[in-house]
Amino acid sequence: MIEPYGDEALLITLGESIDEAINDRVHWLSKMIRSRGRADGPFGTPVPAYASLLVPFDPTRVNVETATTEIGSLLMALPALVPTEGSQQPTPIEIGVHYGDADGPDLAAVAEQTGLSPGQVVEAHSSTVYRVFMLGFMPGFAYLGTLPAGISVPRRASPRARVPAGSVAIAERQTAVYPSVTPGGWQIIGWTDAPLWDPNRAPPSLLASGQRVRFLPLTD
Amino acid sequence: MLEVLSPGLSSIVVDAGRRAGTDLGVPAGGACDPLALQMLERLVDGEPGTTAALEMTLTGATFTVRETCVVALTGADMEAHVPEERRDLSPGACSLVRAGTTLRFGAAVDGARTYLSMAGGLDVPLVMGSRSTCLAGGFGGVDGRALRTGDRLRSLRRGDVGLAGRRWSARQPGVVPGAQPVRLRIVPGPHRKRFAPGMLDRLAHALWTVSSRSDRVGLMLDGPPLGLAAAGDLLSLPMVWGAIQVPADGQPICLLTDHQTVGGYPVPAVVASVDRSSLGQLRPGDSVRFEVVSTGDARALMLDAQAAFAGALAAMSRDEVGEALA
Repeated sequence: MIEPYGDEALLITLGESIDEAINDRVHWLSKMIRSRGRADGPFGTPVPAYASLLVPFDPTRVNVETATTEIGSLLMALPALVPTEGSQQPTPIEIGVHYGDADGPDLAAVAEQTGLSPGQVVEAHSSTVYRVFMLGFMPGFAYLGTLPAGISVPRRASPRARVPAGSVAIAERQTAVYPSVTPGGWQIIGWTDAPLWDPNRAPPSLLASGQRVRFLPLTD
Repeated sequence: MLEVLSPGLSSIVVDAGRRAGTDLGVPAGGACDPLALQMLERLVDGEPGTTAALEMTLTGATFTVRETCVVALTGADMEAHVPEERRDLSPGACSLVRAGTTLRFGAAVDGARTYLSMAGGLDVPLVMGSRSTCLAGGFGGVDGRALRTGDRLRSLRRGDVGLAGRRWSARQPGVVPGAQPVRLRIVPGPHRKRFAPGMLDRLAHALWTVSSRSDRVGLMLDGPPLGLAAAGDLLSLPMVWGAIQVPADGQPICLLTDHQTVGGYPVPAVVASVDRSSLGQLRPGDSVRFEVVSTGDARALMLDAQAAFAGALAAMSRDEVGEALA
């Protein structure tokens, strides 16, 4: 569904759930709009989320009806089953993690809540290949899914005022690495020194939407 | 060159915002009053889009003038003056300030945000294509943070004092909301149907008050709780400047330029782009009334405003004698 989102953007909604196939379509559409976008074109940088895409347009160049028609024709051309990142499964980016102790202050609590040992939580977290569903919350913060159900836990009852950069955290069926220091409510199970975010680097973010990620347990 | 003696309540370097990076979780940021920034870009002959200015909110900064330079001011009136010379600086104009004097801003008397720039714009590095401060990421502007005592603001065209006296005509198109309640036009948002029928009417009929818990991320609006049991939380979706989010407590939040790129609260309406500057000039305690318009009308209003801006630009007079020789 395509609808106006304010008077200078469109919202394209392709589903209502966290689903890899829907998310593939979101990123595919985003790429198509980007590759067609010229510096002087009417469309700005698309912003992908789980199942929806924001497409800003310049209202001095195009009205909402024309913008809707243009994006609609791209949507029609979108294949029913979008091949994942050029058909071949991309090689996952590997992120080394120091789990537990001071690096992962919530690991013990997560183990207790899930009835597992801390080692089993680490095993479950690091044996899954995740996908980057979207970036948001703060610069370079990638929402990774899908966390195994067995280690799914709610957010902390009270958020931390200061989560260190590099904290590897889980909440519900998702995991993420905090790229910079921030207040945050996810359960911190580890820490990484992987360079997730550097605004002076191109690209600034280590992780991009649609990529695969796997965590490797490191022993000190 | 200006050195900060006291930074004011919250003074950060902004430009028109960061277009690159919204897909990476980087808030677009930039001036909360885009029209005031555009006026300033023209006053200081800066590059459109990346001209940096200081945005001061509610209470302004005080500077020691270290090198004689031209400063330009737009936005809210903070009664800028040079105490040593018993001289007030005009808003909407370029003024010469001399080395050894003090440039002092007070509290905003009409509106919330004042913009200051220098010839060619302020000299801060471009990061991801913009000079705006990204507070959430700690980069851009001056070290990714609000100004502190001792920080220095330099002009991109140091020593260029030829702009002194340049001013906007009296009919400047800037908006500093005067009459209360401030009227803001809204267009229907993507989740209006998730609420009980009549949601937009309830938004439009209520009188809203800007809460003191507001910042560059969003304005919290106090008023009658909007009954919305049906709405609930959503799968996170992209957010836009002006989106009116309604969380479960029914008290709306209107997003400003530092809003997160995605969010999970339903959005029954979005403030029309033509009224973004009014939105950026609201102060705590201001009252607001919304008026629903169609997306097409919102676009027409925005095009009219742009035409008015172009007209005012053409009328901008340059008084070379001006304050430089006063």
